[in-house]
Amino acid sequence: MPADDSAVLVEDLVRTYPGGLRAVDGVNLQVAPGEIYGFLGPNGAGKSTTVRILTTLLRPTSGRALVAGYDVVADAAKVRRTIGVALQEAALDPLMTGRELLGLQGALHGLRRGAARDRGAELLERVDLVDAADRRLGTYSGGMRRRLDLAMALVHRPRVLFLDEPTTGLDPASRAALWREVRLLNDDGTTVFLTTQYLEEAEQLADRVGIIDRGHIVAEGTPDELKGRVGEPRLHVELIDPTRNAEAMAAIAAHGHCSERESGGLVLRTPEGARAIAPVIRALDEAGIEVDAVEVEEPTLDDVFLAVTGHTAAEAEAEAKATLA
Amino acid sequence: MSAAASIDRDPATQVRVVGALAERALRVQFRRAQFLIPSFLLPLVLLAVIASGTSSARHLPGFPSTGAYIGFVVGGTLMQGALLAGITAGIALAVDIEGGFFDRLLSAPVHRVSIVLGRVLAGGALGACQATLFLAVAFLFGARYQGGVPGVAFAIFLTALTAAGMSALAASIALRTGSLSLLQNLFPIVFVLLFTAPAFFPRDLLNGTMRSISEYNPLTYIVEAIRAALHDDTALGSPLNGVIAASALLAGATAIAVWAMRARLRAE
Repeated sequence: MPADDSAVLVEDLVRTYPGGLRAVDGVNLQVAPGEIYGFLGPNGAGKSTTVRILTTLLRPTSGRALVAGYDVVADAAKVRRTIGVALQEAALDPLMTGRELLGLQGALHGLRRGAARDRGAELLERVDLVDAADRRLGTYSGGMRRRLDLAMALVHRPRVLFLDEPTTGLDPASRAALWREVRLLNDDGTTVFLTTQYLEEAEQLADRVGIIDRGHIVAEGTPDELKGRVGEPRLHVELIDPTRNAEAMAAIAAHGHCSERESGGLVLRTPEGARAIAPVIRALDEAGIEVDAVEVEEPTLDDVFLAVTGHTAAEAEAEAKATLA
Repeated sequence: MSAAASIDRDPATQVRVVGALAERALRVQFRRAQFLIPSFLLPLVLLAVIASGTSSARHLPGFPSTGAYIGFVVGGTLMQGALLAGITAGIALAVDIEGGFFDRLLSAPVHRVSIVLGRVLAGGALGACQATLFLAVAFLFGARYQGGVPGVAFAIFLTALTAAGMSALAASIALRTGSLSLLQNLFPIVFVLLFTAPAFFPRDLLNGTMRSISEYNPLTYIVEAIRAALHDDTALGSPLNGVIAASALLAGATAIAVWAMRARLRAE
């Protein structure tokens, strides 16, 4: 009998590695059934260690973690039956074909050969790999490998799906295709626990986001709430004739707070972000002011990090590397 | 489906899992040249070298009569194949551990012993394939098996048991260390084990020290049993002792591998 209704419940989770490195240091979080939870942080922040604990690959040093209501230590076998896992750097055998790997995954989850074959065929179609199904994985692109990895995680129709940096290293088209698939899965009721280094990915997919730094959760909330903490997106506007900056500022003042940059040009802080580009250009055009360039600057992971931790993600990553060395 | 019963405890399901893991291990074995060369080519090369280079040994006083010399030494080739099958099984497991595929297995609802048994079964099947090939090649080059089909079948069976045992032993090293390079450096051990057993010469013709050492090497009893079966001559060895030695090796090594798996999981 599950001990809790949450899809994931983590209480005071600590994991210390031999040598004393405290990779996860008192993490608390809760994910509701059907939610997409984005777990955001730079390399070395503790994301993958947390996921490895939640997927029963690593034991916590202390604290408690429940997945689908089952304790990851005491009921590890039950946890494994309810989860799907696509780990970082899809660990797929390059000498096997996509179809063979799906068949193996089906067998690992207790499907008979025929059922595993049928389920594999269904999933190959779902992730658009039918044509490549009988090719060895060594010939797959990064995006194809990730899609197959996702299909393998879905063989047994898991209730909770763990995706560890599923789009790291992928091109924009492959990333968008994977996002689409994750949304469809979530529409079917699957809870998704997604780790990522990309704020954009968390924004696109996650209902809620937790930011982890040095083993601690330093912020949690919806993407909009987190973005609100780092200020509004900025529109950088360059005019053909910079002497008309003052006129331009007056023309676009209705769209946000506008100021002149030291390096020339204007900066408009606007909650509308990229949606403000068209009305701003229209307003300047109506005022007879010619625009040279417009660029949107959205809050980045560094902005969020800087706001909530006082240091950038790159600094945190460098520090984590130095600690490991 | 996610609320399925305890499939990791269901014997029928775990038998299927062991079969699927063994099938996968064999596929990889036959598709990776770095595994095929040591497990198939190297023993055949050594067979050719020994059969042609040391064939005058059969004229030594006390050398048993087994027809063509190659018919005598092919038993040693079977043992060499079994040892190398074991090492490559360990290397393949270390590759899985280093590459992350092992984590995929651990995150599935699979009994941990099934993961070990899948590897052991694949090692046994590989040993059987090797033995069949080596016996056929030796036959083409003049070896004759007076034991007939039962003798050949027994030799293949014993080689398969030995290869399974060596696979379990190498798997336990991979599980304890997770080190690919360590496993790769174990190849010379194969030759130590092989030459401290009467693999290519009768035990009676080994010198005193070597002969004493060979009595503690289980391969001694296995290779002698294989010869006895192939040539239908119990003066060459005891088939029963061979079965006992190979079974003990398999049981002991599998127990060590299961312990190594548990120790690895405890250490995580």
